[in-house]
Amino acid sequence: MSVRADTLVLPPRRSTRRRNQALIGVGLVLPSVALVLAFTIFPVAYNVWLGFYAKHSLRATSTWVGVGNYVQIFADPDFWRSTWLATVYAVGSTALQILAGVAGALILHQRFAGCDFLRGVALFPYMIPTVIAVFVWRWLMNDLYGVIPHMLSALPIPVPEAWLSHGTIMWVLIILSVWTFFPFVLVNVLARLQTIPPELYDAARVDGASVLRQFFHVTLPQLKNVLLIVLLLRGIWMFTKFDVPWLLGFGGGAGEAIRTLPVFTYQRSFTYYQAGMGAALSNVMLALLLMAVTIYFVAFPPAEDDNDA
Amino acid sequence: MPDRGRRRARPVPWAAAWTLRLGLFAFCAFPLYWMVVSSFKASHELLASPPTFWPHEWELRAYRKLFYETNFWTYFQNTIIVSAVTTLIVLVAGVIGAYSLTRYAFRGRTLVARVTLLAYMFPPIIMLVPLFLLARELGLVNSLLGLALTYISFSLPYALWILRAFFQSIPVELEHAALIDGANRAQALTYVVMPLALPGIIATSIFTFIVAWNDFLFALVLIGKDELKTLAIGINEFFHMAVVDWGLIMAAGVMVTIPALIFFVAIQRYLIAGWGAGGMKG
Repeated sequence: MSVRADTLVLPPRRSTRRRNQALIGVGLVLPSVALVLAFTIFPVAYNVWLGFYAKHSLRATSTWVGVGNYVQIFADPDFWRSTWLATVYAVGSTALQILAGVAGALILHQRFAGCDFLRGVALFPYMIPTVIAVFVWRWLMNDLYGVIPHMLSALPIPVPEAWLSHGTIMWVLIILSVWTFFPFVLVNVLARLQTIPPELYDAARVDGASVLRQFFHVTLPQLKNVLLIVLLLRGIWMFTKFDVPWLLGFGGGAGEAIRTLPVFTYQRSFTYYQAGMGAALSNVMLALLLMAVTIYFVAFPPAEDDNDA
Repeated sequence: MPDRGRRRARPVPWAAAWTLRLGLFAFCAFPLYWMVVSSFKASHELLASPPTFWPHEWELRAYRKLFYETNFWTYFQNTIIVSAVTTLIVLVAGVIGAYSLTRYAFRGRTLVARVTLLAYMFPPIIMLVPLFLLARELGLVNSLLGLALTYISFSLPYALWILRAFFQSIPVELEHAALIDGANRAQALTYVVMPLALPGIIATSIFTFIVAWNDFLFALVLIGKDELKTLAIGINEFFHMAVVDWGLIMAAGVMVTIPALIFFVAIQRYLIAGWGAGGMKG
């Protein structure tokens, strides 16, 4: 879509007319731009600057330490440990969300009795507040009274007794996150599935392709773009997820085993009141995010018709 | 009809399809089912081993405790205020901003759209320290307005991004046609664009509302006074009681989920419209 085709300037007019139109356009977008600059871009920029200071979270004083915070961070084994835990969490939960989301979308793409109802149910985990989702899962997996450990104990295979303990709490964290966030993948994939021309499948069927081959040779290539963007977004958001690991782990001795980078950052900032250190840790996450986004857009440049995006 | 026979040839056998559908249903719904039944169980039954899948007796004890012995309604009211203020600001700015981005040519338009996309990706945690320090500086700690303003930081880029997709999906030719038929710009907007954009605007406002409704992190650091707490951090406090009352926590869960459920049922047809347009990013 070129700039000229999707604007409302009627058949080429005098340039004053066009300038007026541009002015109206700028005027309409100005509130949004001002708010995003003030509340999103400025804080992030301010944070970059804060990362060079040693600053107490509650006191007004701050001392310039240059890259001191970063030197300290990269020498801290706890930082590396929390980065590793965040990576395990992000990779595990994102991979499973995508699997569950694609499977769910394929199931819901067909029409059947109650399919609208099931669509609603499948989206619901994403709508309920994180706090509730985590507490419900803490209750489901409770060491003494949990219903899931009880059901699993009926299986003929050995299962852990205390799921919320050191060795297994990461699994609970991943499963609960998949439950909460897979609808995001499902919605995006389903929307894309609905736009695949049925003729592609007709052609594949005429050629005698099996259901499996249709999936791998027709569906999957069509889903490639949406899956890549979903992978990028979910990967970023899972790596930087604070509330789920915090709410699952705090108050229990096993919290240590899921102290991911965002939790570590929060503790630096609000348990030890090292705001400068917290800011520097946030900047590490920001740098990783920008790297991921850059790699994504270099590897998969947006299509021509998205040029005005 | 000759076509029917071919359509009847199902790609997946009937039994397998229904097994998958029921599996999806159980995976999504069981935790919610368990929350509901747990909230109605009597204390002794809640801790019974083995757990009962259908309560022997239904009790309102947990709800009574929630309504009369906690500040639940205060938290509820605070959450509604904060979410409504956020949604109002974000939506007004977002709708006109997204309209401008899809309908007017001006220098910097591409840049604005790109920055919006980037800002949409920013997770709340990277804005935590600066927004906290700024809120302290401006005296917006322990203030519902301050909380609502911090929510703009992640909900506006998000709303702009979805709304832009929705406006893009409305053919600009329809407005051209209205203008040629003698309508002015405002009339074209009111009678042509708005009715078509309404599903997107409603869906976006619900999603924005829910983003604010669900936040835990900013409320945790910005709100300390009990009478200003939102549901997320208020319910979190229930965990700090001497004995954790699971029935109470599940009852709170049910009460917090109900508004989301009502919204959800109300907008379901708009949501499906959104899915069709491929504009939903939530």
